[in-house]
Amino acid sequence: MRTSWKAKSAAALAATLAITAGVLTMPAPAAEPVTITIWTFGDVIQRNLVAEYKALHPEVSLSIKKSDLDPLNGTNMVTACTSKVGPDIVAVEVSYSGYWRSYPKCFQDLRQMKTSDANVAAGVEAGLSATEIKKNYLGWRWEHGVAYDDSVIGIPTDVGGLEVAYRTDLFKKAGLPTDRIAVGKLWPTWDAFIATGQKYLAKLSPADKKAGKGFIDNSGTIYAAIMNQGTEKYYKNDGTDTGKLIYDTNPQVKKAWDTTIKATDAGIGTRIGQYTSDWNIGMNKGTFATILAPAWMMDYIKAQAPDTAGKWDIANLPVGGGNQGGTQLTIPSYAKNKQAAYDFLTWYLAPEQELKVFKTYGLFPAASVTYSDPALLNFKDPFFNNAPVGQIYANGVSQLKPIFEGKLQRAIDQAIGAGLGRVAAKKMDAKKSWAQVLTDLKKVVNN
Amino acid sequence: MTQLQDVKGGTRAPLTPWKKKKKKEEVFPGVRSLNGRWGHLFVAPFMIMFLIFGLAPVIYSVYISFFHWDPLGGSEFTGLRNFSLLLADSDFWLAIRNTFSIWALSTFPQMFMAIGLAVILRNTRLKGKSFWRTILLVPNITSVIAITIVFGQLFGRDFGIINGILDFFGLNRHIDFIEGVIPSHIAIATMITWRWVGYNTLIFLASMLAIPDELFESASVDGATKWQQFRFVTLPQLKNTITFVLIVGTIGGLQVFAEPQQLAADGGSSKQFLTLTLFLYNQAFVNNKYGYAAAIGIMITFIVLIISTINFFITRKISNDGTR
Amino acid sequence: MKTKTPRWRKTSPLSYFLLATITFLSIFPFYWMFVVSSNTNAEISKSPPSLIPGGRFLIVAKKVMSAEGVFFSNALLNTFIVGIAIALAQVMFSAVAGFAFAKLDFRGRKSFILFVVGTMMLPSQLGIIPLFMLVKNLRLIDSLLGLIVPALVTAFGVFWMRQIIDAQIPNELLEAASIDGASVPRIFFSIVLPIIRQSSFVLGLFAFLAAWNDYLWPTIILQSPRHFTLQVALTQLKPMYGLDYALQMGGAFLATAPLLILFIFVGRRLVSGVMDGAVKG
Repeated sequence: MRTSWKAKSAAALAATLAITAGVLTMPAPAAEPVTITIWTFGDVIQRNLVAEYKALHPEVSLSIKKSDLDPLNGTNMVTACTSKVGPDIVAVEVSYSGYWRSYPKCFQDLRQMKTSDANVAAGVEAGLSATEIKKNYLGWRWEHGVAYDDSVIGIPTDVGGLEVAYRTDLFKKAGLPTDRIAVGKLWPTWDAFIATGQKYLAKLSPADKKAGKGFIDNSGTIYAAIMNQGTEKYYKNDGTDTGKLIYDTNPQVKKAWDTTIKATDAGIGTRIGQYTSDWNIGMNKGTFATILAPAWMMDYIKAQAPDTAGKWDIANLPVGGGNQGGTQLTIPSYAKNKQAAYDFLTWYLAPEQELKVFKTYGLFPAASVTYSDPALLNFKDPFFNNAPVGQIYANGVSQLKPIFEGKLQRAIDQAIGAGLGRVAAKKMDAKKSWAQVLTDLKKVVNN
Repeated sequence: MTQLQDVKGGTRAPLTPWKKKKKKEEVFPGVRSLNGRWGHLFVAPFMIMFLIFGLAPVIYSVYISFFHWDPLGGSEFTGLRNFSLLLADSDFWLAIRNTFSIWALSTFPQMFMAIGLAVILRNTRLKGKSFWRTILLVPNITSVIAITIVFGQLFGRDFGIINGILDFFGLNRHIDFIEGVIPSHIAIATMITWRWVGYNTLIFLASMLAIPDELFESASVDGATKWQQFRFVTLPQLKNTITFVLIVGTIGGLQVFAEPQQLAADGGSSKQFLTLTLFLYNQAFVNNKYGYAAAIGIMITFIVLIISTINFFITRKISNDGTR
Repeated sequence: MKTKTPRWRKTSPLSYFLLATITFLSIFPFYWMFVVSSNTNAEISKSPPSLIPGGRFLIVAKKVMSAEGVFFSNALLNTFIVGIAIALAQVMFSAVAGFAFAKLDFRGRKSFILFVVGTMMLPSQLGIIPLFMLVKNLRLIDSLLGLIVPALVTAFGVFWMRQIIDAQIPNELLEAASIDGASVPRIFFSIVLPIIRQSSFVLGLFAFLAAWNDYLWPTIILQSPRHFTLQVALTQLKPMYGLDYALQMGGAFLATAPLLILFIFVGRRLVSGVMDGAVKG
């Protein structure tokens, strides 16, 4: 067959070249070669840092497989754990943390690992286990990597944070203040936020109203924001792998639901789904004036709507602090190269590296020790009217408290999200929709 | 199986096991004089691979449908509980509704389009025959994922091109092809029709080309109009083809998975995208309820079987009515 | 006496218009892919969107091919290998078994074929977990064989071949050959195979296409980036949240382009093959 003939000759050529190259460049006395396999998604593992590590450790090669989040943290990890065949490092997103915290048996307890001296020159001491490095990180973000039995299964990379990105030009048109401190003062509470939205709507021209313009892109995002500002979500940790379900009694859930419904009923949202093409276009056209934005979304806005540069700014979230997104790096229990993986992981997640990631890609560090670093504090973003985003987000994330996430966290979030969606799409009234949420959840939590 | 049928029928004479009496006489289509024992050898490779890779997973799935199984947790025998839960699960019936709706919207209009296109292409005086025919297969070679992204953009509620065209014609409706139940089904059905109508057109075209000209000649001598010729000559000859297309389309259509999953992995806020296979997939790979998922899979098979059989009988009846 | 009225009237302009519309609709999504990938994301997010390609296709193509973790030429090669292997195997297995079902009389023939057709009705998603465990026990995880081996046989292929052989091979031909003393295998290889060549080609082509575009199973089985097939390699292009339209459409276009090129060469044969397979009045 033609194809394999070509492949064979290509392989032969490659082999010859490799041998020649190897002979010509005498390798330095290197440590044992090892390949670390990493499963990740998006840009969690940064290309330039990978190159940097390779320069530090020529004997280490990193084999990186990127996937869609859902099969990755779902099916792929389940099949890997059942068959005990898989990578050395897996990136687990925050929305899946609840689930995987119920299965510590799939992970290596990082309290039992110690750093070798491999990266001492690069600033990572030897002999550090997870217990020692815990203090470098944001407390509540660290908790996302702690299983129900207190074992440490993952260490955080970044923290999403949440603040309000708003359009100064549209605010001005509506007679609202544009200075970010003043804007922050407009909404100390969520009710005030909704009221501001209504004020904004009142100032829209009839043509704008007809074109479907609104204050915020999607009022449904308010729900998650409020939930993260509490101390409990859907579970109480009772020491079992499943945890105790409290979603139907937790007043925070009711508060978040009711406030979101209020915002929806007030019509301040445009109902455009985030990450759809309509949303990208809406950013360009000024269809909405505010977005509840985590730190990583700033780059997204820059890419999708470059013509709006300078017209945005960042103000504080109502009440204070929020979060959306974030990742932990974990080492599966069946990993083949645990020590090498742990050395890489601790280096990659060291405060210096997380700061580098922030500077090049905008992922906000979960390593809270960086928050006092002048590089972070003085970081200003011209796209967002030179807002000191480092400071703003650092303040925001420092206000949050640890929340226990349980096994069915995602499913419950989805069911409630669908419930809010039905109300927004005017398919059901709030009461009926909530009743359906409860019925759906009963199916999910029972057998 | 044959024996039982005979016993139930009562009035039939005992039959040899290899001849089944059906509505028409079944004739062995092969060659008697060839040594039949080669048959086993020839099907052996297929059968062995099939048993390992096709059947074994199925048997395993049937097995676990009687359990509550979480691959990372434990398993627990639950007997028929998965099935009784399933029948009482409103999501299951929603999935049936969605699946059938999408199936109807994608199968029947497509069939009419395909036959209509085939009639046009049948015309021997058509210019550029080869080109038109070849273009028909182009949609088939794309990947579903890429197409879903493209159509997702085209169907956007506020800024999609399709709504834009509707605006242009004055219907300022801004149909929500994602949230609306019927619109979302139309969106999926459009994707499926786009992909398959060309293929089915070719199948119908081939069958039409095989109809002997004499039939048309004698019909037109008898004074039949074009439409009458179509109804009484063409359609009956297409009977088998229609059945084939319908059955294959049903088997595929009732298992639509990739398009809904790409548009709304959880099925959508009103579960409008939840087809039966998506329901199965989510129960298995999102909720980790493999036993329940297996039960769903078995139900899907039954449903497909029943519908295919109904299809088969209905098309025979219709075309039987059509013959003179 | 035959009437002199012409059987076929000239095709009406309306019919040509319909055909042109169908052509346009069939091609438009490809064109759109090209337009999206050749513009910047910002331009795509304008409304009304640009309907004309921008000038950036080569830039995006380069980005796709050099993107991290996307070893494009490896992926292309892998996909080719898998596609061809599956196509050949499916055609062989199906032809052999299809011939037996169509022309040979052997015990259990009826129930076998009914059973095989019945399994076509089972949803494929169901078998993923048991199939995965099977493949793992065969140590085929992360290898191309893990993709090829489970796909070697197909119920649909056997069914199709049975139809084809039934329609295209007259019994008299086989009877004559057997009277002449030819053995069954001889008959199969010298008489049957040459006749069904065209239709086998079509089956193979469809199998190749399906393997080329398959996504679900390869994502589960393949783990090292250099072993990826095209569809899996393309998932490396996805940004963290949302979609990078230009990049992903560029990848999708590049992954479809080889098929388009292939299609230009074999399109006609594919069409005649599909039509041959359909004629079983």
